[in-house]
Amino acid sequence: MATKAPPGRPTTTTRTGPLRPDTTERGPHTAAPAPGGRTIKDERLAQDGKRKKPSKAVEANPLRKGLRLERVPDPHVMVLFGATGDLSHRKVIPALAQLWRTNLLPQDWMLVAIGRRPYDDDMFREELRTTLRANARVPLEPSVEKQFLQRISYHRGDFDDDAAYMSLIEKLDKIDAEHATAGNRLFYLATQPSAFPLIVNQIGKCGLDHETHGGGWRRIIVEKPFGRDFDSAKRLNREVGKVFRESQVYRIDHYLGKETVRNLLVFRFANGIFEPLWNRRYVDHVQITMAESIGVEDRGSFYEETGAVRDVVQNHLLQLLALVAMEPPATLEAEALRDEKVKVLRAVDRLDRTSVDADVVRGQYGPGWVAGEHVEGYRQEPEVDADSETETFVAMKLEIDDWRWSGVPFYLRTGKRLPKRATEIAIQFRDVPHRLFTEAQSNPQPNLLAIRIQPDEGIVLRFGSKVPGLGMDIRTVNMDFTYGSAFSTDAPEAYETLILDAMLGDASLFTRADEVEAAWAAVDPILDTWVEEPPPPFPNYESGTWGPAAAERLMERAGRRWRRI
Amino acid sequence: MDRDEAPATTAGAVSGGAATPATGGVVVPKHPKPGIPMLRWSSRAHSIAACQVELDRIWKSISLTTPGVPSGGDMSPVGEERRVAARSSVMNLVVVAGRGETGERAAAVIHGLTGRHPSRTIIVSPADPDGPAWIDAQVQAHCVLPTPDSPETCAELIYLTAGGESGGHLAGIVAPLLVHDLPCTVWWPSEPRLQSRTTKDLLRMADRVLVDGSGWSGDGLDRLADLAALPAAYNVEIADFALLRQSRWREAIASSFDLPRLMPFLGSIREITVRYAAHDGSPRATNVVKPIYHLAWLASRLGMTVVEPMAAVDDAWSGYHGVLRSSRRHVAISLEPMESDNTAGSTMEVEIGAQRADHMLIARVTGQADGITVATTVDGDQLADRHYLVPRRREGDLLAETIEDAGAHPITAEALAMAAALVGRPIPGHRATGVMRAAA
Repeated sequence: MATKAPPGRPTTTTRTGPLRPDTTERGPHTAAPAPGGRTIKDERLAQDGKRKKPSKAVEANPLRKGLRLERVPDPHVMVLFGATGDLSHRKVIPALAQLWRTNLLPQDWMLVAIGRRPYDDDMFREELRTTLRANARVPLEPSVEKQFLQRISYHRGDFDDDAAYMSLIEKLDKIDAEHATAGNRLFYLATQPSAFPLIVNQIGKCGLDHETHGGGWRRIIVEKPFGRDFDSAKRLNREVGKVFRESQVYRIDHYLGKETVRNLLVFRFANGIFEPLWNRRYVDHVQITMAESIGVEDRGSFYEETGAVRDVVQNHLLQLLALVAMEPPATLEAEALRDEKVKVLRAVDRLDRTSVDADVVRGQYGPGWVAGEHVEGYRQEPEVDADSETETFVAMKLEIDDWRWSGVPFYLRTGKRLPKRATEIAIQFRDVPHRLFTEAQSNPQPNLLAIRIQPDEGIVLRFGSKVPGLGMDIRTVNMDFTYGSAFSTDAPEAYETLILDAMLGDASLFTRADEVEAAWAAVDPILDTWVEEPPPPFPNYESGTWGPAAAERLMERAGRRWRRI
Repeated sequence: MDRDEAPATTAGAVSGGAATPATGGVVVPKHPKPGIPMLRWSSRAHSIAACQVELDRIWKSISLTTPGVPSGGDMSPVGEERRVAARSSVMNLVVVAGRGETGERAAAVIHGLTGRHPSRTIIVSPADPDGPAWIDAQVQAHCVLPTPDSPETCAELIYLTAGGESGGHLAGIVAPLLVHDLPCTVWWPSEPRLQSRTTKDLLRMADRVLVDGSGWSGDGLDRLADLAALPAAYNVEIADFALLRQSRWREAIASSFDLPRLMPFLGSIREITVRYAAHDGSPRATNVVKPIYHLAWLASRLGMTVVEPMAAVDDAWSGYHGVLRSSRRHVAISLEPMESDNTAGSTMEVEIGAQRADHMLIARVTGQADGITVATTVDGDQLADRHYLVPRRREGDLLAETIEDAGAHPITAEALAMAAALVGRPIPGHRATGVMRAAA
């Protein structure tokens, strides 16, 4: 920016002298702040073992009021464990690149990527360049890509190697000194779940978790799955809790970052017309479906260890259920929101062996045809046992035993190799109490509200309408709101939303320890029962169909049927 | 504008390789691409009634339907449906274009928003005031295919020129063309003549007014005060692109005080200086709307009142000076020109000085070629600099942001009222009007 001092005006903008003297009356004498901004009273209280709590007025910056622009996080170093892994390459790095592209990362942001492979910075950046070309949501301009990659350095080390952590500390301190990242650290565990306790323990052992006084926050993002049952989740929470406070832990479930899922809160609590109907008096049942057309692809060994209940039901589906069924939170702050979700999860009627047999259906896909292509069955997939008993499909009925939902069944369904990829929540309302239009050729269907999570994100409201003409015929019509039509703007990827939230210290869309445990408690009886009982003859559904016949029967027993998605 | 001018060119660039039929009507795009607005209808009218007929014709035309797919997806019997191009409107947008090229520029901006914020847009231009009364309107539908298999989203654009005495009654021309029950936004891409009868008539039908104060002639301050008076007089909300463009500056300034140990200094500010670009020989003629918005925003957010309104100093390069009151302290405020190659009136630096007990804080937020740098010192000790990239925001981005900000903008109303007080024309009854005492 070329400037020159004009005649007759100050030639410098660098102030060294005192400010203009105060020309008005002085306020009451203010205690002189001690070095570091602490007053003498602060010092005295600190010596007494008490710390003065900052006043509310000080905590809230009045200049922030009304600023609509996304807040840029504090400068910090992100430390990515498992940086060479699939998740980092497909999701985390592309999400960070988008945040960088849209100027939502601080300029003083650095990423230290930790992996076992023998890379140096340039080799790793070259690999990321290829990754970004393949996975970036919006392609990066070469200059932006270069800038972004320059913020990333590679640190080789095994997760159990003390020396690797010591050299990491040196590296982070050096970055702090060079880039003014102020000791702020965001750890991201994008590794195999089995490595979580080890890494957390090592972080604690070398003191990387310590939040320095007067600056320097420490946070950790932990990927799902968080445990493989209630006991292991509790153990893992305990391990993490030994090193990090709960407020420092961000357990990621990427479904919560999806635009449509976040819109659920807006839809329910920013619109007055639906909430009065959102209860047992008007709702007949709720269906939550997450269907995938793909198989296990190259995750055979992982899937063998998890199955559909652990992979999808315990987290994604129960989170959707909690958002649909929860009471309005008092505020949108993380704790208020998560308190309400936990209440719902705790109110899920505990299944026992009998109800698991009656209300939970498991399936495994066999060979078939999906989208016009022949596909193998699960047992023929790579790294899958030829006699595998792992479930790739689950359909189940749950009830929420609380004032609002008592007696309303929630049907959950997920599966692989189903005819299409689709996730939606359908609220099926009760039929009208009295059928007035008996002369009509077709009976009007009960109203239905479907919230499509993916693809074609949107909301459909189904209602009956008179067919134009002299008669009194009724046809069911849809009032269809499609995100793509109403907002053609690019929605951010879930990972972009969630990573940015963690950088900003907003935990609203992350799951809390007790929430994870409550979700495991809801599905543990299913897993326990299945361990003891042999599965039905697998495979029991053909790829490209909507699951085993038992899933249909589960609904038919109650005179209902699954939505045709 | 020449009444025989070809519609596609007068209404701005339209993609899709469309050809406008001579008689007017449906336009079939040759190469529709998802996300790219396409001209799908174009016809001409010479009266308001004829415009209404053309608008009806657009949506009755079966040619606008596109082949459908089975609806599926629910428990009811599935029937074959046709996907019809959907008319969408989130608002009425009236663009007052004094000159043809202004209208074309506005049309191009609006086309870009067809998919995101479809509106019924009426671009009105008065012409040939001394001639006989006439109306010439091009009625168009622009559609966007969100994805290859989605129905099109369409919005209407009426490019209307009113000659002779008709041009003096724009509100009467526009009113019958508004979609009822939708909010009406009136946008002046160039300089509004806020005191004219035509403008006042348009303001009476408006819910929201869009302007760009940084493009006004002279220092822009009188017009800014006029603008600040509109919400009370016409019950309208104001959006000024000049203020919206400064959002990253506000973020940067606010960030200076995020640290808990620095935040108390906000209550002890003694000086605020905004330095702006001016060109050699024209500091007094420079539009200072953007610089004064910085002062106004800070003062309004910090609950300050005006003691002495901004006054120009005789020496043109000395800028403008005034005094605010914060609690019981006076705050010296200045707008200082700096000779620069940058656009005249653009902000170069915001400097905030605060003194708390014996400690002095100086926060200096400086514009750079690619962004904004925040440098803060406490008692001469430099804290870590922060740098913010400032992406270039085009008119389309600002218009989209304005549309998305349904309801009163949380900053504009207060900043505008404070700006009026700063230039010595306070809004009666507003809390910034400590000035009334001082001015009196």
